Amino acid sequence: MWHDATLVAAKDLRIEVRSRVAVNQVAPFAIAVLLLFGFALGPDRRTLEPASAGLFWVAVLLSTILAIQRSYSVEASDGARDGLRLSGLDPAGIFLGKAAAVVAELLALEVLLTAGIALLYGAHLSGWGVLVLTCVSATVGLAAVGTLYGVVASGLKTRETLLPLLFLPVVAPVLLAATKAFDAALAGTPSRGLGWLEVLVVFAVLYVALGIVAFGPLLEDG
Amino acid sequence: MNGYVEAGYAVILGSLGTYSVSLIARERAARRRVGAAPGNAVVASATGHRPADESEPTGSP
Amino acid sequence: MRAPPALGAGSDLATLTRRLAHLAGARRAGDMALRLLGVAALTGVVATVWLGLFVTPPDEFMGNLVRLLYVHPPMAWVAFLAYGVSALSSLAYLWPRTRSLSFDRLAGASAEVGVVFTALTLVSGSIWGRPTWGAWWVWDPLLTTTALLFVLYLGYLAIRKVPGTPEARARRSAVAALVAFLDVPIVYFSVEWWRSLHQPPTVLNPTTHKTYVHGSMAWTLLLGFVSFTLVYLWLMAHRYRLAKLNELEESEGLEVALAERRAEAVAG
Repeated sequence: MWHDATLVAAKDLRIEVRSRVAVNQVAPFAIAVLLLFGFALGPDRRTLEPASAGLFWVAVLLSTILAIQRSYSVEASDGARDGLRLSGLDPAGIFLGKAAAVVAELLALEVLLTAGIALLYGAHLSGWGVLVLTCVSATVGLAAVGTLYGVVASGLKTRETLLPLLFLPVVAPVLLAATKAFDAALAGTPSRGLGWLEVLVVFAVLYVALGIVAFGPLLEDG
Repeated sequence: MNGYVEAGYAVILGSLGTYSVSLIARERAARRRVGAAPGNAVVASATGHRPADESEPTGSP
Repeated sequence: MRAPPALGAGSDLATLTRRLAHLAGARRAGDMALRLLGVAALTGVVATVWLGLFVTPPDEFMGNLVRLLYVHPPMAWVAFLAYGVSALSSLAYLWPRTRSLSFDRLAGASAEVGVVFTALTLVSGSIWGRPTWGAWWVWDPLLTTTALLFVLYLGYLAIRKVPGTPEARARRSAVAALVAFLDVPIVYFSVEWWRSLHQPPTVLNPTTHKTYVHGSMAWTLLLGFVSFTLVYLWLMAHRYRLAKLNELEESEGLEVALAERRAEAVAG
């Protein structure tokens, strides 16, 4: 399973490196979201700065949807999805691989967005340990749910509208917990974020486990 | 103050009533459609529908 | 309609039941049970409304608003009961030993009825909240979790509509149900913790739904819970039958199409 996961992750990342869709489209989208929040709530930093954590994570959530759709659209053409199914790769491995690739892309995006909120909203970056741990655990949870729902929505005519409807409500607790953890870190009291980190880790473990088990049957229905 | 209570009860009873009615109607319509298809007496009786007993006329869907 | 057979000496219980059922216009005994359930549910609801609106006294603090507390908590109870039934049925479908399309049908029926009750929970909660807390909406853990449950239900119902074979649809829906419904406890505890950090408990705290009910009020509330649970069961039974009919219709349509295709092949 791990071997297959590495193969799939490497494939997805290689496609990304060559096509640069995440770099050219998802990242600018995320920056645009930050800017638009500025338009909606700013320009007073006294409004924006306390909201930095929440706005950061909303931007990440929306970008995750794009990343997941991208992850599946690379297989949508030329029957590549059937190829994946029949390739003999362990479905759990396919799940982990695709999710891992999405995690990698999103983590890179989050680095960019962290710089973004510091610059645009005046967020004071501190509590780096908690910031990093929050990013990792939240992103794993997001990628797990997204990859699982993504396989259901992919190949359907309604996928563009179905995926956000399915995905966003389920990851609401990730948004809440990640925002609170970030808030604690940015306010200089990172230890207050540890409880929220636990929530994120539980969520991530739960949905990675569910994905490993449930992905195979869903892949069959393509 | 009292307007709120009446409104609450009205909404709840009204919605549940409407949903119940529409559900029964959908069920009747589906039963008629299932009964109307050819060679279907065996299938229809599985859901409690006896074409011979039907007092209302079955139209084709 | 055939004339009902005369009741004669020597009728045993089974024959008697069948004759009663026939008299009730039911097509089979199961129909009569359902009809009885419906009557019981309706009676319960009417009694609850009558007691709630007219017989019970106004509350010390809340005045007449307490009357909404006879119907709003039952709505919430059914919403979460329906969610539980949906989740458990989905689990049952995924478990190899109990895999049967009837569980998928059950999950779907419960979800549709559940979404109606969830919407009603939100609306009745909102109507109660406006005069009580001065706002149409507060971010209290129960209401917030219910709002999210509503959207989760909608997503689940959307996924059930995706075309495919009954088995594929059932599998897809069951996994979606698990993903969505495992989320609900996480949501509830997260929101509760979130809110507790921001709001020390006070007498008028929106997170406190507690009020002291006694005497006729307690009985009315209990009756409310029971009656609306019966309503849920009745609606579920009909929705389940509708689902079965739809499946039959679908498989028939398929058979007709196949027969036509074969006829074409023979003729052509």
